[in-house]
Amino acid sequence: MILTALAAELRRELTQLFRYPTELLSEVLFISIVFYGLFLGGSYMAGRGILGSRLSDIIIGYTLWTLMMGAIGNMGWAIANEAQNGTLEQVCLAPLPIRVIFALRSVANLAYDFVLTGLALVLIMVLTGHFIHFSPLELVPVILSIGVSFGVGYLVASVTILFKRSNQFLNLLQFGVLFLVMTPFTDLPGVFKYIAVVVPIGPQMGVLRHLALGQSSFPGEEAWLLLGIVNMLLWLVIGYAVYGAAHERARSRGALGHY
Amino acid sequence: MLLEVEAVRKSYRRRGGAEVLAVRDVSLQLSAGRILAFLGPNGAGKTTTIKMIAGLVKMDAGDVRIAGHSLRTAGASARRQLGAVLEGSRNLYWRLTPVENIEYWAGIRGVPRREARERGLELLRLCGLEEKAHQTVQQLSRGMQQLVAICAALVHRPNLLLLDEPTLGLDLDAADRIQQLVEQLARVNGVGILLTTHQMEVAQRLSDEVVLIREGAVILHGPTDVVRERLSGDAYVFELAGNLSAEQRAYLAKRDAEFDGSLAFRVVLSSPGDFYEVIARLQPCPIVRASRDTADLGAVFRHYVHGDGNEGAQP
Repeated sequence: MILTALAAELRRELTQLFRYPTELLSEVLFISIVFYGLFLGGSYMAGRGILGSRLSDIIIGYTLWTLMMGAIGNMGWAIANEAQNGTLEQVCLAPLPIRVIFALRSVANLAYDFVLTGLALVLIMVLTGHFIHFSPLELVPVILSIGVSFGVGYLVASVTILFKRSNQFLNLLQFGVLFLVMTPFTDLPGVFKYIAVVVPIGPQMGVLRHLALGQSSFPGEEAWLLLGIVNMLLWLVIGYAVYGAAHERARSRGALGHY
Repeated sequence: MLLEVEAVRKSYRRRGGAEVLAVRDVSLQLSAGRILAFLGPNGAGKTTTIKMIAGLVKMDAGDVRIAGHSLRTAGASARRQLGAVLEGSRNLYWRLTPVENIEYWAGIRGVPRREARERGLELLRLCGLEEKAHQTVQQLSRGMQQLVAICAALVHRPNLLLLDEPTLGLDLDAADRIQQLVEQLARVNGVGILLTTHQMEVAQRLSDEVVLIREGAVILHGPTDVVRERLSGDAYVFELAGNLSAEQRAYLAKRDAEFDGSLAFRVVLSSPGDFYEVIARLQPCPIVRASRDTADLGAVFRHYVHGDGNEGAQP
């Protein structure tokens, strides 16, 4: 049943992608132009040479941030949108648990986001003239980070199912995610680096940062990857449990379909 | 029994902290192939009850069983037996076509795509919408959208269909098509249908049973014809094909007959023998129709909701 439901979600996403291609194109342009604006501003202030040495890092960070914001916001956005359009209660009528349906929907949205960020990445590289070399190994922390994003996405969805609004929350959250992407928690001195274990995407970003800098290995890499898996599972479990409680609360208040 | 609602109760807490009892120990039953009209004034608790049956609102007490599956202990199995079209919701994705919608709603209920497509086209054909199958839903009229929503709710072959105000805001043709579809689903396909409506003529035409609720509590429950009969009394309606004489008019005036124009009147008879006396007095005027004036569901509704008929009776 789960595979049939996933196929239905993917088909719905693809159908809309092909029916309304201008939406995808405008998003690609928006993401690329925002980055290019930041790139031009950074080049003016820091000088092209200094920026150039960290450009790969910045492009990867920006792309990951875009992907993560998609993964974090998709569930909440879908709930708010479906509540407004009057389809949320129909989704809740399905025999599958709603948390599973939203997870499947997030996977389908992620496929869209991969196409979107992939195109934006190519455009960014063309605009900046800087082509990054992305090793397949770097995909591991990226995938783990997206797993964490789903967990945080459940938290956003929890707020949305209760209040049917998530825009303000997501606006604030994107700065938080930027902070998480840019802060080197794993490089903090002494025992402070272990804060990274519980901070969302802390270990994943540590591994990714070192890999992006061309270090094929760094001290404790395997341990940090393992902790990255623990970190992902931790946030997935927290998000899943909190959403379950929020959903029951909304059901109890009779406010599943509306606020 | 297809649907058993057992003493469900729901209260909400207002912002000030006061508790409002929205549904008070409502019980009802519905068999396969039957249509139950769930009636009541605005704010009576109809939608809350329907949403509790659908599992969308958590009940404080009681239980709902659909085809024997308890919503409390076997929610997924119960929901598999259920389709619903809810009032005030679009129920559909407007940027998808009817077929794409049906495939999607079937998919999240575990129905494979090919089966969903065949079933969807069959349902759309039944509704006369096969030509609209590949237009986006936003391009369809309100009536067509409602029909597509019913098709989408039926794609997984549920045994129970919940329809909350299915004909609200529709023109006569669209409302008629929906009523025909509802009748066919119940009479031919054996689907049990629970519908709410404020349109008493729709409820009267479709329902086998009626449940009337007021202030969250059931005040009347029974077969529609029995409920109507109970309130009908001894009034008879006569339709004539010719004018009455002054003497005949005087006789009817003495019996307090109410005239509707010059060729029809309604009269209350005090005993069965009176009927033959009236017939005899009307000779030689031709009589087109003489029938018992059965109360319509609107009169039943007004009597129990606004009048004194709130004895909580089961006729």
